[in-house]
Amino acid sequence: MKLLDRLFKDAPLATRNEITPKLGFVLTVLLAIVWLIPFLWMGVATLRPASDGINLMAELMPSLKPTLDNVRDAWEIGDFPRYTLNTMIICTGILLVQFVTITLAGFAFARLDFAGKTLIFYLFLMQLMLVPVLLIVPNLSLVAQLGLYDTLTGVMMPFFASAFGTFLMRQAFEAIPTELEDAALIDGASLLQRIRHIYVPLSMPSFSAFAIISVTSHWNDFLWPLMVINSPDKRPLTVGLSVFTATAEGTQAWGTIAAGTLMVIAPLLITFLIFQKRFISSFVTSGIK
Amino acid sequence: MLFSRRLMLGLAMAGSLAGALTFPAMAEGPTEIDLFFPVPVDGKLARDMGTLIKEFNEGHPNIKATAVYTGSYDDTLIKTRAAIKAGKPPSAVIMSANFLLDMQIENELTNLDPLIAADGTTKEQFLGQFFPALQGNAVINRSVYGVPFHNSTPLLYINADKAKEAGLDPSKPPQTWAELTDWAKKLTKREGDKVTQWGIAIPCAYDYCGWMMETLTMSNGGRYYNEEFGGEVYYDTPSMLGALSWWNDLVYKHKVHAPGATPGPAVSTSFISGNAAMMMLSTGSLTYVRDNAKFAYKVAFIPRNVRNAVPIGGASLIVPAGLEADKQKAAWTLIKWMTSPEKSGWWSRATGYFAPNMAAYKTPDMVDFLNKNPDAKTAVEQLDVAKPWFATYKTVPVRKNLEDEVMLVLNGKKQPKEALAAAQKAADETLKPYNAETSLKLP
Repeated sequence: MKLLDRLFKDAPLATRNEITPKLGFVLTVLLAIVWLIPFLWMGVATLRPASDGINLMAELMPSLKPTLDNVRDAWEIGDFPRYTLNTMIICTGILLVQFVTITLAGFAFARLDFAGKTLIFYLFLMQLMLVPVLLIVPNLSLVAQLGLYDTLTGVMMPFFASAFGTFLMRQAFEAIPTELEDAALIDGASLLQRIRHIYVPLSMPSFSAFAIISVTSHWNDFLWPLMVINSPDKRPLTVGLSVFTATAEGTQAWGTIAAGTLMVIAPLLITFLIFQKRFISSFVTSGIK
Repeated sequence: MLFSRRLMLGLAMAGSLAGALTFPAMAEGPTEIDLFFPVPVDGKLARDMGTLIKEFNEGHPNIKATAVYTGSYDDTLIKTRAAIKAGKPPSAVIMSANFLLDMQIENELTNLDPLIAADGTTKEQFLGQFFPALQGNAVINRSVYGVPFHNSTPLLYINADKAKEAGLDPSKPPQTWAELTDWAKKLTKREGDKVTQWGIAIPCAYDYCGWMMETLTMSNGGRYYNEEFGGEVYYDTPSMLGALSWWNDLVYKHKVHAPGATPGPAVSTSFISGNAAMMMLSTGSLTYVRDNAKFAYKVAFIPRNVRNAVPIGGASLIVPAGLEADKQKAAWTLIKWMTSPEKSGWWSRATGYFAPNMAAYKTPDMVDFLNKNPDAKTAVEQLDVAKPWFATYKTVPVRKNLEDEVMLVLNGKKQPKEALAAAQKAADETLKPYNAETSLKLP
């Protein structure tokens, strides 16, 4: 097997002569294959002509007469470029504001002294225990009162502050030696300058780890955007996609669904493939596994 | 103080005066209304809905309706409720017909009686357009709260080719549970311990599962809930026990139904692919089956154990409470247009749901269609034995109290009797606040 040989060549040099790491490596490859099968199926189903019928739908063997009909159908049913743009606006908008809020809040909890600090921090963390669904009605009335019903800002609003992000940044900032800050203080750096030049650059891995979590969770969020958005041209990808995947009475066009799903995950998947190494290293250094 | 109270009052009055003055000018523009719609069918129909609304807007220059897609039936209820509470009610909603009672209890619906009266018709004339079986879910306390739009009944779908292969006559479909069990046994194929073809598939996923339980219970002589009062369900009863036990037997005793709770799409896929020879599914899937089946199929009534009876399914059009008068009027125009014989028939042909408006079946297009597709008649014929869809206070949680237990039974983790007792207990708990305010509140 040429492929296996090549894969083994990538295995860490030091472990090449031992048995256990090799087994582990084989296991990883097997897991990767299991993980790949749905993707393969999605690709195959996307290209399968409707004339093949539902019988062949579950098969992994590609059709002999591949067609782009499903892609065309999915493309016509949903305004995918618009949905993608909306999702991107939502994800980046949330992330940019979150960066500011979690940096400042994380810093306050890590380095500033104020009355009731621990209590407030725990109250903050308690937010993590709440199921988001619970807050739909109060959040929506607030968004409507602010005049943000049916706007992308309304979708982003509730996520501007993040308990998880604050926690993560607090941990990261606490790990930074205070001596560095003291040195900057002697040089006359203001509070914001110290955050900007010492804390932020040294916590980059935590920032990227948080960015990944934030973007993927908001990219996949369905219920909240569904609540806020009415206008078809403001739908994010998830809501747009479910127009033809959600069914109540039992029928589904698998080919179109596969094509639509592929379109929805493609941007995220491609980004991941490009920045793969960086993603993984940021998770390793920030301690999230 | 910069602003005195008098100044504020003056400003407010000037404001309202200006509002009153500009009002006629505003009324000349089209009234903008939102129609919330779930997608109980695949993407093609989301496009059909777009076509329908476009046609409406072209014919009504003074109204601009927007169709807003709102997820599943359950999601649509959540979104509608959240929008009402947030002060942004949609003008009309295609709402699962059994949610109307719960919404009426919570004061979330507009009573349609005045709108009907304003058209110069009586309630009886208005309701008379629709099949009598549908009225139970549209009328609450003798007032009209919903207009039937697309409706369904469960059907028995049979793969006629497989039936012939097994020596069964598809022109005489099974009429009783005993016959159905017999058919299912003959239609199940095994290779050793492995089943290569299941005799029957019945869906059980949230929403669908409760409806199928009502179907089986009704054909077993029982009822799911108290049709006259929203605070009682009959889960722990002989009729429901018999129904769930039979379903359980199909899976674990006769081994003709795949174990586990199967969602609707998996059931239709398995029927189309020949993996299941029969299925119980909604009329709403008929167009899908017609378009995809590569074999002769037959549609039949749901077999009985005690009596022939099925529940209504599908959706009605509602007008939420708290709308401005002009939006309410525009929504009413849209609703009447959508439920007219022509439009209702068009939607029925596109989806497989039957048309609730009886006159739809007299339109030339429909007569033509039924001649070509006689299978579409079965659901309409079955309406003679159809009854309302379960509707209680907090319908969704009360339904889930049962569904969770039924899923445990189908997964082989519980026996029907203990499951139903647990479901009854949970449902009684959910219904408690309503009963405390109504039947148990003594003078």
